[in-house]
Amino acid sequence: MTITLPLVHHCPHALVSRSLVIRGEKDEQAVLCSKDKTYDMKIADTSNMLLFIPGCKTPEQLNDNQASCNIIHSQIAGFSNNYWELRRCRPKLKKLRKLLMEDPYEGPDSQKDQTSTFLKYTTEDLLSLIQASEEEILHQLQVIDACEIEGYWRILEFDYEMKLLNHVTQLIESESWPLSKVPLRTCLEELGSLEPTDMIEHILLSYGRKYVDDAGEVYFEMHEDKICRSTAQMLLQNAVKFNLSEFQEVWQQSVPEGMTVRLDQLKGLALVDKSSRPETIFLLKVEDLPEDNQDRFNSLFSIREKWTEEDITPYIQDLCAEKQTVGALLTKYARSSMQNGVRVYNSRRPIS
Amino acid sequence: MVQIVISSSGAGRLAQWVLLELQGEVEPRQSGGLAGSVLGDLHYTHQGIPVLIVGHHILYGKVVQLEKPFAVLVKQGAGESQPAGPHARYTVTALIKTKLLFKTRPKPIITNVPKKV
Repeated sequence: MTITLPLVHHCPHALVSRSLVIRGEKDEQAVLCSKDKTYDMKIADTSNMLLFIPGCKTPEQLNDNQASCNIIHSQIAGFSNNYWELRRCRPKLKKLRKLLMEDPYEGPDSQKDQTSTFLKYTTEDLLSLIQASEEEILHQLQVIDACEIEGYWRILEFDYEMKLLNHVTQLIESESWPLSKVPLRTCLEELGSLEPTDMIEHILLSYGRKYVDDAGEVYFEMHEDKICRSTAQMLLQNAVKFNLSEFQEVWQQSVPEGMTVRLDQLKGLALVDKSSRPETIFLLKVEDLPEDNQDRFNSLFSIREKWTEEDITPYIQDLCAEKQTVGALLTKYARSSMQNGVRVYNSRRPIS
Repeated sequence: MVQIVISSSGAGRLAQWVLLELQGEVEPRQSGGLAGSVLGDLHYTHQGIPVLIVGHHILYGKVVQLEKPFAVLVKQGAGESQPAGPHARYTVTALIKTKLLFKTRPKPIITNVPKKV
């Protein structure tokens, strides 16, 4: 019986003491996942022959002052001329959002859930479908504000999410609470008749930072930027584009009192077209763009031929590998030139 | 999706193996496989230089500490013909942190030099 002994190279020592899983569908490139990291796996070939010898001694291990000659018989366990090479990579998480968007949660009143034939996903399901480590998956679930409903991970349908948010912001206004001190208990009491309490708590967690005061009461410090951003999304999703100044006016009026809107709150969500007269703004969500680096750049350059670094950064930031900068990405995937004294980036190749 | 689990074998420290890297190929003297045959003799000089004698050739190499170690995996399963099921397993059997690299040309060992008359 031959034992195949694949070698795994570039193996951080910490890896081998934990459980590792290789994951991939037949049409995907395999990745290796530890508890919290994901690695690309590639086969590396060498023209040299690699023999592996258990227990073979190195010079340091041999006693210099051996009185007599010893012959140590060592067996060669096997040989190979290729090995698996690991390189840390970005976890492939776009699929996670895609799976959860198949069947967004529209609230308890929606008839959809009862009749739905769509699959719902538990954590275990996700681990068997997503090429990422468990911790990276759990972290991403938090980032996209997913919640567990009856054991399944769900994303809220946007309109339902805004409905919940509006309940909270209206309550904040009518109670004149400071945005930094919204009490959980009162929210649940006042809104519990309108919506499930775990949904109210979920929306507070999504849009605020939870803390406990000295008396043990739970409060939320609301994220003004995130509330403004979602309000903008709600406005922008109804049209192809908007007159920028009109939009800014409506936007400011739509956010809760005391909040100030700013265009930089919309990075990665919307894009301003400064070349049109009048200036316009339209929805462009980074999460709707391709995950692969080259595909992402192709997509961006087909939307707009030339980009400034400021405009493109929110749309490529997530592509950066460990210790890679946006500048490095631009050098690799774009060509730069000067336009009216400003550095702009365009595609390296013609976009069809 | 295929999920292949790789786990550590046993609770104790992993075995430390050594890699021997040779340029070119090793061929059996007679026909038949390499399995069971003796490769050769490995010596170290007092300076710690590894010396390998294979057949009638001698090779000088060097000890290299690997920046990134290798892990040796063994596939778990009854026989090699068993196809990898959706939950095939590998165990980490050993770590390799050192290699003996032989990349100089093997020199033939001449044991009998006729003396000049």
